[in-house]
Amino acid sequence: MSIFEYNGSALVAMVGKNCFAIASDWRLGVQLQTIATDFQKIYRIHDKLFLGLAGLATDAQTLYQRLVFRHKLYQLREERDMKPETFASLVSAVLYEKRFGPYFTQPVIAGLSDGDKPFICTMDSIGAKELAKDFVVAGTASESLYGACESMFKPDMEPEELFETISQALLSSVDRDCLSGWGGHVYLVTPTEVTERILKGRMD
Amino acid sequence: MTKQQANWSPYDNNGGTCVAIAGADYCVIAADTRMSTGYNILTRDYSKIIQLADKSVMASSGFQADVRALQKVLAARHLIYQHQHNKQMNCPAMAQLLSNTLYYKRFFPYYAFNVLGGLDNEGKGCVFTYDAVGSYERVGYSSQGSGSTLITPFLDNQLKSPSPLLLPAKDAVTPLSESEAIDLVKTCFASATERDIYTGDKLEIVILNASGIRREYMELRKD
Repeated sequence: MSIFEYNGSALVAMVGKNCFAIASDWRLGVQLQTIATDFQKIYRIHDKLFLGLAGLATDAQTLYQRLVFRHKLYQLREERDMKPETFASLVSAVLYEKRFGPYFTQPVIAGLSDGDKPFICTMDSIGAKELAKDFVVAGTASESLYGACESMFKPDMEPEELFETISQALLSSVDRDCLSGWGGHVYLVTPTEVTERILKGRMD
Repeated sequence: MTKQQANWSPYDNNGGTCVAIAGADYCVIAADTRMSTGYNILTRDYSKIIQLADKSVMASSGFQADVRALQKVLAARHLIYQHQHNKQMNCPAMAQLLSNTLYYKRFFPYYAFNVLGGLDNEGKGCVFTYDAVGSYERVGYSSQGSGSTLITPFLDNQLKSPSPLLLPAKDAVTPLSESEAIDLVKTCFASATERDIYTGDKLEIVILNASGIRREYMELRKD
């Protein structure tokens, strides 16, 4: 079995009208055994920039620490927050440093860019960026998520509809994946506020 | 002379996706018409759906050579049944026959993933879903084949079939009307075609109801 499927995860980000949402499941497992049901996979870099890390949990946490470190250095030198596009390039560069011994993780980056334009992006474990206009998915439930998002997503959704769509897509996808689930964690980000919501889901 | 290793497989995977939905008085069975092997498309117009009896329709993905062999066996067995009983086999009986036929080759299976749809003796829609060796279950809806991982969660979301463990047992048929079910199937395939390279070209939909059988087609992406 792939090392990417050791802990299990489901990650998805969607773009709406001047807003975006990023969602994940809660489960941390070791293969089929569930270790924790409150494991965070989405990290806040700053108020308008979120990072989701699917894949091997230990690598995800290590990578997150390195990225926070790099972002703090940037803040000190530049006295401003990083743009999502810049942060995506940073993540990509940090991953490619380990080209021949990679972090076994697939990042999802979602943020509000200049003029509050939503930006979402995913990449593979060695930093090949994939910029998308609509939605991006990652983790062991990615195939289910592709199917669900492909049929539920509409362009230019308002924040509340976007929240409903991403939540429905996440919950129906993790129910068909053995390695992810146990509820959901959704961030809904608009230019004025960040809403965090906890979803209850099937516990099997 | 170095030792040679046999690298021939009796199986291939020709891809394809099948979906069936059972309603109160109808059944919708659908499949795409693409047949592939690896990165190649063998044909864009191959029907995966076959009518086994008046009220039994089977859609099969997997290895189409095995599927054709399986269809031939089922047709022969159904002909014998007609001679012995002077009637068409009903859908639940056909479901059992299909299971037995698949299990008969338990140790050299047909590489076929089937959904059987039809109407039962009361005229209610029924869907039976199978694995390659004949394990089967009556359900309200099902998806099989290369695009099933994409379609199943969406069908779950839209149709929310009651758990088979519930007591008292609940009817698995979907609450949708016939035209709503057809639209849902079209949506499913349009989405699956976007992401699954083995699904595409054309969608064939077979609708069974009290007034008989009818076929519909919808174009899908060809890339």
